[in-house]
Amino acid sequence: MKFSRRTCLAALAGLTMAGATGPALADDFKMGLLVPGSVAEEGWNRIAYDALLRVEKELGADISYVELHENPSAFENAFRNYASQGYDVVLGHGFQFQDAALTVAADFPDTTFLISSSHVFDGNVIGLNTDSSEPFYLMGVIAAMTGKSAGLVGGLEIPPIKQSFEGFINGARSVDPNFPISQVYVGSFTDSTAAKEAAVGMIARGANIVVPNANAAGLGVVQAAREAGPDVQTFSVYSDYTEAAPENTLGVYVADYGQGIVRIVSQIKDGSFEAAGNIVFGLKDTDVMMFSYNDHSARSVPDDVRRKVEEVKNGIIAGEIATRAD
Amino acid sequence: MANIENERPRAADTDIMGNAMSMLVRIAQAIALPVAAVLVALICGGILLSLNGFNGWDVFSVMIVGVLQDTRSIAEILLKSIPLILIGVGLCVAFRCSIWNIGAEGQLYAGAVAATIVGVAFEGLTPWIYVPLVMVAGALAGAAWAGIAGLLKVYFRASEIVTTIMLNYIALIGTSYLVTGPLRDAASAYPQSARLLKEAWMPRILPPTRLHIGILVAVALAIAFYVFLFRSSAGYAVRVVGINANAARYAGINVGRNIMIAICISGGMAGLAGAFEVAGVTRRLYQNISPGYGFEGIAVALLANNNPIGAIFSGGLFAILRSGSELMQITAQVPQVLVSVIQGMVILSVVAFGVYRFRSASRSQ
Amino acid sequence: MEDVATLGFIATTIGATWRLATPLIFAAIGEVFSERAGVLNIGLEGVMLVGAFVGFATMFAYGSLPLGLASAVAAGAVVGLLFAFFTITIKADQIVVGAAINLLGMGLTAFLFRTYFVGTGRGVEIAQPLDIPGLSDLPFFGEAFFRHNAIVYSTLLVVVLAVVVLYKTSFGLTLRAVGEHPKAVDVVGRSVAAYRYGAVMIGTGLAGLGGAFLTLGHSNQFVENITSGRGFIALAVVVFARWSPVGAFFVAMLFGLFYALQLQLQAQPALNIPYQALQALPYVMTIVALVMVRNKGDTPKMLGVPYTKA
Repeated sequence: MKFSRRTCLAALAGLTMAGATGPALADDFKMGLLVPGSVAEEGWNRIAYDALLRVEKELGADISYVELHENPSAFENAFRNYASQGYDVVLGHGFQFQDAALTVAADFPDTTFLISSSHVFDGNVIGLNTDSSEPFYLMGVIAAMTGKSAGLVGGLEIPPIKQSFEGFINGARSVDPNFPISQVYVGSFTDSTAAKEAAVGMIARGANIVVPNANAAGLGVVQAAREAGPDVQTFSVYSDYTEAAPENTLGVYVADYGQGIVRIVSQIKDGSFEAAGNIVFGLKDTDVMMFSYNDHSARSVPDDVRRKVEEVKNGIIAGEIATRAD
Repeated sequence: MANIENERPRAADTDIMGNAMSMLVRIAQAIALPVAAVLVALICGGILLSLNGFNGWDVFSVMIVGVLQDTRSIAEILLKSIPLILIGVGLCVAFRCSIWNIGAEGQLYAGAVAATIVGVAFEGLTPWIYVPLVMVAGALAGAAWAGIAGLLKVYFRASEIVTTIMLNYIALIGTSYLVTGPLRDAASAYPQSARLLKEAWMPRILPPTRLHIGILVAVALAIAFYVFLFRSSAGYAVRVVGINANAARYAGINVGRNIMIAICISGGMAGLAGAFEVAGVTRRLYQNISPGYGFEGIAVALLANNNPIGAIFSGGLFAILRSGSELMQITAQVPQVLVSVIQGMVILSVVAFGVYRFRSASRSQ
Repeated sequence: MEDVATLGFIATTIGATWRLATPLIFAAIGEVFSERAGVLNIGLEGVMLVGAFVGFATMFAYGSLPLGLASAVAAGAVVGLLFAFFTITIKADQIVVGAAINLLGMGLTAFLFRTYFVGTGRGVEIAQPLDIPGLSDLPFFGEAFFRHNAIVYSTLLVVVLAVVVLYKTSFGLTLRAVGEHPKAVDVVGRSVAAYRYGAVMIGTGLAGLGGAFLTLGHSNQFVENITSGRGFIALAVVVFARWSPVGAFFVAMLFGLFYALQLQLQAQPALNIPYQALQALPYVMTIVALVMVRNKGDTPKMLGVPYTKA
């Protein structure tokens, strides 16, 4: 069974003349992206991909991405691949990329390594945190003011998701300390069936606001809200998929990570970037983190609630309200 | 029955020249057919790409040639092949015993957890002791996890296909619990274990690449288990049980014990693979440390005709395909999932070319 | 914790149980046909993914639910034809080919979804729950039993059909004989291969339908790897159910129950158990149940063994 070596030799002999795809010109500005899942799904991975596309469009950079499917052993190699090909910026989309970037970074001082959802700040490795607990805090306020009880459906128990739920709970409790909230982790980002049943159960027990944070699987939660009729509402989180349930979506939280990334990458590109610490995007970055209402919702958020939410939002931006501990 | 390797029909001439010729023919067949099968799979992959608006030629120019361009990329392929070879070799033993261990993924996690627990515990230990200790811990944990399925089969006749699948889920969920709970790095909010102590890291053999001693261990174990299976009486007993358990029992072989041996070897190898992943590559335990090596290992073993030496090569091939698919996505934006299609095609083509006949031949009525 | 025992909780759990069991019931009963004829198809996961994807894509393109479901069954059967060709005609090992089918199903569906559906964002209209006059509005029973869609109810039909076909028709008799004493079937002049082809394709057709339930009867979207291991669970269901279609129905329900319970119990804030313990519950219980029922030796004798005419 000694075929693998033979195959390679044959392929090498036959194909080197055909030539592999040539590397891009060295002076082009290049950005690479590492995502832990599929960019095809709504949610976390998609926002990074959209950001990459914006960098391409607005800064004229050459871009590339690779999906590593929660495979930490491949992270370091992927960073090295990009850095050794002369990529100027490489974004690792998730805290789990932090270690690998730190290991590689010293060998490539000319490359900037950005890590999403991380507090790292070490030379050319810089954490970018989108603090979703802030918009989720607003959703919690809305839920407690307009709903009876809420249910949160998460994918895996990881910090970005835990923090967002913490924000939601704190927001709701700031209005009504006894507001009932239940949480379920389905243990998967692909099992939309389980996510839907989790939401159906919550709705049956009286929740009329269900909020997903489970990437692709979260669509199951939206579907559950839609089937339950106009009384049950949800939020579209990270990206705008109001269309999936227009009458059941109270509001949309869009993380325009692209805007934030474009801002930073353009500074890196023209050499004006000076980081003093890791970067946190919050509601203060109104071009990055947007929260809007859906007026087509069957239970559209009333004006007095909107005014209150606006107050809370200003409080968060001013630093007067802490959306989560730490 | 003793000569399982040579079941392909051959001319019954006693002439030495004729024997040598038929041997040459057999060797040529053994090499040419898998090569042809792999080519067919790649061509199918290329056609699939072309039909869907990509450049089909990339399958060859990027996927195969591209990944073999320099020392580092070759080292990365060897690194990826370590768990595949280990798991593949272990499964060769299990499959030869007709134990359908589908649980290598879970056994890998069990090994990774044990290696982490040991790898963060003993400060100040010399690497000469610590490194082997981590390896042994991983292998024992993997063997123990597989052993559960073995005991359930031997004492309760519970199908190992079912129990090992269930144990996969339990190991994955258990790991998720451990890294978010008891094993979580106290200094971090993230679901990851503390970093393994430096003395527990697998020594690297080709700096600055990440290639570590695991590749040597994997190859050595492949040879060792080849010898075990085909040159030792213990391995012979394992194979006899695999061919016909009733006949083996009649011949006085302890079937239950051989089942336990085979399943624990396969589990131990998967556990060792898990130990290598945390102590050699990631250096921390995460919720997901395997992209499905345990399932790919099944294909590695089967492609090698359940021959441990062959698993070295089929493991290497699968590592190339995996690296190549990553590179394809980077350079040509081809969805990485293409690798599954090509792996599936490789298996089917091998089957279609009739290379893989061993089990069919031994079991058809 | 207080409402764990309430009727509402039980009704919701039962309703969820049946829905979560539905894809397992289709796939497991399909696999019963296949295994009864002596063919072990571990490629169920891949077949279900193909069914889920083809059903979704057809619905997306033509907007017809019956057409979507039919094409999912047809796609499942086509994959079954491929599997049967390799395992029955070429006589390759069934586990090997099954593993290849899983890889292909996973890879092809994800590849095609990426290439043609990314960014469409839109779902499809899925099968609506039936409104059964007088029953759907019943307290307790309505929620538990009478507010499902037609696909869920059709699991009952499939069980009945499977029992009739397997035990009351000469086709079923021969099919079972093929899994036990293929030679006897051969001797009376019937083709073992033809029956095995038939059994495999019935099996994969049903698995395709089980997959399509996920995209056309539950979620309204295809998600890569949406089956999330259900094909493997279905294999476990068949063994646990001792190759009986009625057994497969109930064991799948039991599995659905464990799954539903873990999702429901997690949502009880007062319940202080790590949620992973609840998640592991279905799998631990399967092992416990296997130990308790023991193997009575009713495995089809020729399971996994190709047949060669003498």
